[in-house]
Amino acid sequence: MIIKMFLVGLNHRAAVTLFLVATTLLAAIGLPKLDVDTGMDSLIPANDPGRLIYQTVIGEFGSDNKTIIYIKDDDLWTPEKLAILERLHGNIEHIENVVSVDSLFNLHTIHGKDGKIESLPVLSEAPATVEEALAAKKRALANPLFIGNYFSDDGDVMAMIVSVMNIEDDRDFNRKIFTELESLISADRDKFESLIQVGPPRINTELENRLFDDFKLLGPLSAFILFISILFFMRSTLSAIIPVVTSALTVIWTFGMLGWVGIPLNILSAMLPSLIIVIGSTEDTHMMAAYFRGLQTTDGGSRDKAIDYMARHIGLPLVLAVLTTALGFSSNMFSSIGLIQQFAFASTFAMLANGIITILVVPLLLSIYGPGKNPNFGDDKGPNRLSDRILKVFRYSQDNYPISVLMFTAVMCLFFIYHASKLYVTNDPLSYIPSDSVLIKDTKRIHDDLAGIKIFFITLDSNKENAFQHPVNIHKLAEIQGFMEKQGVFDRSMSLADHLAFANREFRGEYAELALPETRQLVAQYLMFFHRSDLDSYVSHDYSRANIVVRHNINDSHTLNNYINELQEVIEDIAGPGMKANIVSENLMVNQAADSLMVAQVKALVILLVLIFLIMSAMFTSFRGGAIAMVPAIIPIAMMFGVMGYLDIPLNPGTAMVAVIAIGIAIDGTIHLLARYNELCRHTSDYVGAVHVAVKEEAMPIIVSSIALSFGFGILLFSNFTVVAQFGALAAATMLFSIYANLLITPIIMTRVRLVGLYQIIGMSIDKKVLEDSPLFQNMTNYQRRKAVLISELSECEEGDLLVEQGTIGRDMYLILSGEAEVIRHDGNGESHKLATLLPGSIFGEIGYIRETERTADVKALSKISALRFDYERMQKDLKFFPQIVAKLNFNISYILGERLADMVSQAKGHTGD
Amino acid sequence: MKIRPSQHFTFLLILIASSLHAQEHSDVTLDEATGLAIMQEVYSRHQQFAFIYEEQSMVMTDRNGDRDTRKVRRYSRVEDDGTVKFLLLFDSPDEINGVALLANRDASGKTNKYIYLPAFGEQLIENVSSGRDGNFLGTDFSIESLTGEVLDDYIYIRRPDKKTVEVAYFVIDVYQNEEGLSADTLVADKQANRRHFISKYNLYISKTEYFDKQGRVYKRLSHHDLKPVDGKMWRADMILMEDIKEHHQSLIKISRRVFSRDYVAAEIFTADWLFKNSPFISRPDIDNEEIHSEDEGATEMLNEQNNSSANLELEFTQ
Repeated sequence: MIIKMFLVGLNHRAAVTLFLVATTLLAAIGLPKLDVDTGMDSLIPANDPGRLIYQTVIGEFGSDNKTIIYIKDDDLWTPEKLAILERLHGNIEHIENVVSVDSLFNLHTIHGKDGKIESLPVLSEAPATVEEALAAKKRALANPLFIGNYFSDDGDVMAMIVSVMNIEDDRDFNRKIFTELESLISADRDKFESLIQVGPPRINTELENRLFDDFKLLGPLSAFILFISILFFMRSTLSAIIPVVTSALTVIWTFGMLGWVGIPLNILSAMLPSLIIVIGSTEDTHMMAAYFRGLQTTDGGSRDKAIDYMARHIGLPLVLAVLTTALGFSSNMFSSIGLIQQFAFASTFAMLANGIITILVVPLLLSIYGPGKNPNFGDDKGPNRLSDRILKVFRYSQDNYPISVLMFTAVMCLFFIYHASKLYVTNDPLSYIPSDSVLIKDTKRIHDDLAGIKIFFITLDSNKENAFQHPVNIHKLAEIQGFMEKQGVFDRSMSLADHLAFANREFRGEYAELALPETRQLVAQYLMFFHRSDLDSYVSHDYSRANIVVRHNINDSHTLNNYINELQEVIEDIAGPGMKANIVSENLMVNQAADSLMVAQVKALVILLVLIFLIMSAMFTSFRGGAIAMVPAIIPIAMMFGVMGYLDIPLNPGTAMVAVIAIGIAIDGTIHLLARYNELCRHTSDYVGAVHVAVKEEAMPIIVSSIALSFGFGILLFSNFTVVAQFGALAAATMLFSIYANLLITPIIMTRVRLVGLYQIIGMSIDKKVLEDSPLFQNMTNYQRRKAVLISELSECEEGDLLVEQGTIGRDMYLILSGEAEVIRHDGNGESHKLATLLPGSIFGEIGYIRETERTADVKALSKISALRFDYERMQKDLKFFPQIVAKLNFNISYILGERLADMVSQAKGHTGD
Repeated sequence: MKIRPSQHFTFLLILIASSLHAQEHSDVTLDEATGLAIMQEVYSRHQQFAFIYEEQSMVMTDRNGDRDTRKVRRYSRVEDDGTVKFLLLFDSPDEINGVALLANRDASGKTNKYIYLPAFGEQLIENVSSGRDGNFLGTDFSIESLTGEVLDDYIYIRRPDKKTVEVAYFVIDVYQNEEGLSADTLVADKQANRRHFISKYNLYISKTEYFDKQGRVYKRLSHHDLKPVDGKMWRADMILMEDIKEHHQSLIKISRRVFSRDYVAAEIFTADWLFKNSPFISRPDIDNEEIHSEDEGATEMLNEQNNSSANLELEFTQ
């Protein structure tokens, strides 16, 4: 069936072309429906219990979508500059969906001195004189609540904090806010030393822009590099064009499907075109290599025969390779993180679509444009020479130091696994952007002069009205803040306690330090000097819940989560029983998703390895086969994790996918290698030789595809996203590691095993009756008979050929599958006597098989013969690989010999009787 | 004296006739008047009684619609020398019981304000906040918005009158009186601080809009439940201040008003009286009683008022 499927493109060109055109057009219609989502929501696990708490908290204490407008100037406090800022403040307030703007123009402060108290705005309107401006500066810097939040210590930097809320869940929300803010800011930018905005709208817009830039750059660059590298290795223009064609169709199908289904593009989608081009090309390369081999092998070298050869020889391995690759991508589909889940869905579809397109398009194009001769094989220049050199080194090691190589590899793996233990996880969106980008520099500047732009909330819920007018509970807030100061990693925290301590200081005047009011009445009475809106972010209306707003600039989830976990324990302890304590924010949920990222990664990896093990075990009808197939998958992955640990590359949504994707790809080479080895083993009992031949034949496609994949993944280094670049670098390295594993380690292990492919068993075309009637296969199931046939060596003889020669010593036993042979004995007088004619199902040579002895007669082919040859030594070797089958065969041989003996005895009796 | 039903009707007719006459009269006399002249007429007509005692509910609504209610007593007294004394005394919630705002405005318009916090100690703390800018004690009102403007501090420019279906208004823009500035020298594009809408019917400031520098309304003060209290003098039983930028509002509902010297004795406006009636709370706080946060009556009033406020807005925009 699979062969037929591969030949559809050859046999039904018009129908296939029509199907491809129609599907591609349908997909293309879906392209305009494509949406882009770079929001933080897709980075948070859908089942995160923190979501609900977060929604409640932002509903009560206000949005954490806050943009900081950073203003720096040495002459900031002048009437002219403040007038510009006042206008800017007013204009920003009128942007749609802006909930509030906080700046010196609406900040209120309290000032106490000599028994007098003053509650006043820092600046109600732009001052008319420099003196007024400086007085406002003095007021601003005197309030400790403002330092770090709104003003730098020296007052040269100030901030406007713009809170926005995406009420209608508009996907373009962030871009709209960013654009409107930018248009207002840019008009006055030249009037200040620095005037910038940083916040979720800018970050999201930046991510979106970078995504589009990646799309424009990476796909075409991948296609170009792929074209050049295949052209170099395969020396065939068509071989280079075909992957580009299949990839282009896959890209349209995939993105069209995403448009139709409504799955948005995200940061990881940026690498999808490159992945399709790079990974998709490997199958094209294997098919082209098989086609060229077909040209060499088949008589006359016709296209159709070569395509037929290609279909027969790599059909099933290729389908299997497509499935394992798709399996690699799909293993992430159950991730709770939307970003990864969406990418897994898109990439799995892409891999499957690419498989279908390749199977249909490659035979179709080859049937029309396929070259009539092999441009590459047999040539000892260029890529062949390169792969030969690599193989020469590998073969020398395999032949002379196999144990040493295995030991060295084991030690190396242990070394990498040790470094892999240092791996840490991060999921911070800002870590997706390179550290030398303007955005990150701006973020750092705000962090240096004010406080980090990242926010989280610590909420205490007493479930009791007015609890946070009670000094005991207010002290709890201060205690938590005190602990955070000891942690020393968060920039700024603000709570109701700060406001009350400040009010207390201003009322008491002589207090040098901030101290909290002692009675509930005094708390309530101080609170009258704050407007409700001043406290909205810090305490619920009924004073049953309090909120500490914390700003920080930690970009590494691992570090942040550790501190948050530590903090969580402490706040629960401080809050005491009866009071719930939560730490929430969107940014925090995103960072905390790093933990589920790690869990999901381990889960996906284990599931994938188990699945591949089972598939390969079934494929090669042996758990050993499954285990061998895992070797080239596991070694590169161990190396990759080791490199990550060694180079301090974190596990993030990009790098987390390398392992599963790389396994899916690396296993392709193994499948092709094992399949070829099995095929060769059918014709030889020299397994080592078969390994060498298989490796030699498969080396070039493996090396070409691995290097092409490395180049392709390497292109992702040009991505605008750190996560994508890290993915690219690691995937490229893993592909190179897979050459080592596939061509050095796998062959060493392969020589020690003998596998039979399930596809060979199923696809075997032997007269069933011959097997059923043969005593050699008696009491065996059809499956066992077929497997037994595949363990043996297939021998083909022409008419007149001698299968067994009298007087020679041989330990082979034969079963005739088709054709006829005669048994002739030569006596000492030079006369020949025909003893018997052997028909299909006949067995001969069984005595030599059991005991090393001279052949007593010739067996000569009367017609073209197809026979199974059972070599004694080979069967002894295979006993350990297929004990049940070989044992049954041995038993049946014993039975046959027993029958012969019985016949001879009865014949002897007959003679005696005569 | 018992009034018969037929006398009710006669009395009503007289009231309507006198009101119409009053309206006609004000239209006629103030049609060509300047902004200042209208304001002077407004103040002369509705100037404070010398002795007023009010019991108020103050309902503050935040941007989420949550409300806080305070019970307040207001005392005001005008001395013979023109000094106006003003005391706002908080009765509830319990935690702020006794908190007081004491203000004295002399004839020249100079105002001294003091705050008394019983939990802080027996001392009056002088509040030197500017009356114009600051919201007082967490409300959306400024002290000036409750005590009235000092006319000399401002320049009043009359703008085209506004008429709705039911009411006609004088429209007066108010500018801060700065040195060298007058109604004649005021530049055309200068932004007013606020705009009064004065009902031609009773010459009462029905609504005041506060502008920011860009000319956008950021606060709105409106008077409701207007009642004539003495001839042409009217009083509002409900005063609403809306902060449009911050999306919150404060409502004062006067539940009792008494014009009597006996209710506002001079000693009430002293520190001793305050210390005696609301002594210093020195005990450490250990209790954690719940505060009644909602006043049902005031809530209903606020809801009604929100509706009438919306209607009022509709009228102005027609």
